[in-house]
Amino acid sequence: MNFKKQFLDGLLTKNPVLVQMLGMCSALAISTSLFNGLGMGIAVTVITICSNVLISALRKVIPSQVRIAAYITIIAGFVTIIDLLLKAYIPALSESLGVFIPLIVVNCIVLGRAEGFASKHGVLASAVDGLCQGIGYTAALVLICVIRELLGSGTFGGGLLNGGEGIRILPEGIPAMMVVMPVGGFLVMGLVLAASQWFTRRMDKQNKKKEAGK
Amino acid sequence: MKQETMSRYILRIVLVLLCIAVVVAGLLAFVNRITEPVIAAATEARTMAAIREVLPGGYYIVITQYTDDTGLVSAVYKGRNGYALEVTPVGFDNTITMMVGVSRDGEVLGFTVVSHTETSGLGAVAASGNSAGEAFREQFVGAVGSVAVSKDGGEIDAITNATVTSRAVCEGINAALSCVAGMGGAE
Repeated sequence: MNFKKQFLDGLLTKNPVLVQMLGMCSALAISTSLFNGLGMGIAVTVITICSNVLISALRKVIPSQVRIAAYITIIAGFVTIIDLLLKAYIPALSESLGVFIPLIVVNCIVLGRAEGFASKHGVLASAVDGLCQGIGYTAALVLICVIRELLGSGTFGGGLLNGGEGIRILPEGIPAMMVVMPVGGFLVMGLVLAASQWFTRRMDKQNKKKEAGK
Repeated sequence: MKQETMSRYILRIVLVLLCIAVVVAGLLAFVNRITEPVIAAATEARTMAAIREVLPGGYYIVITQYTDDTGLVSAVYKGRNGYALEVTPVGFDNTITMMVGVSRDGEVLGFTVVSHTETSGLGAVAASGNSAGEAFREQFVGAVGSVAVSKDGGEIDAITNATVTSRAVCEGINAALSCVAGMGGAE
């Protein structure tokens, strides 16, 4: 197993949000502050790792006809556990993410990794895959969060730093409220997608040039 | 290897799914048992903090006998200086849960938003700790009878671009005021 490739895949070349276009609903809805983005990202990462490991361990036992039902049951179990733990120990995060925690059950990243990777690979590789994809999701989410928070509210680290208010970077009056609204979510998401496409293409070209030069 | 018969195959599918479901359910029951008291305590602590904020001065008892024509009042606490009422008006997005402090004479002492899902930066200002939020909430202190936003002919300046949320808050305050007014005669 090539862990370095798995990591690069998760973060960049097969980033769940920016390339595979999975988990867009949550990525658009909660990406309004750094606190939300980090919390959601970590929750999804933990759930993907757990469900990947268990599904990979059971991959020879689960009959293929009912595999989706089995996967969803396992994923729903982990999601509910995380939901309860958050409610009990980090109520502020649970409050701010609201329904999007239970909705991780139907987040395509988790099911996608179960079906596309964990059901075909060993336990360790699946765990690493869950971690890498989770990091990729978190990174994309945090990027979108930071942009939306900065342009929409003019702060950095809302809900996390400076007693929850965030550090003010742009003076009040300059930030456009629209960016925090759903409209802004789509706009920022589109721009981030475009930028990441441009970046990966350029990287591809450079790699090809290098190979041709050899 | 002998071909598995259809009935045996179906039995295998059912058993595997059953096992997974039973294990997951057991795990959930276990986690629930650990977290349930913690969650209940956190909710309780939040309610108590909200009551203390809007109704200073001491001991609170839950009142179950009250008249509420609006259907928005979900809990009433009586304290030394008046009442704290939990009201749940419907805002722009969903229900807003707020705690309203009302004096014995039917004067609003203040209110705080316990939980809401209003739009961040717009309706959410009603709950936020920044100066705009404080200025909005301050307007209600001392109000008697009923309140309304200026668009509806009242005295309250609505939060910019969040009239729906502001109306909901007024509705909640009015429900609390009328509920306390109803109790005044009973005492």
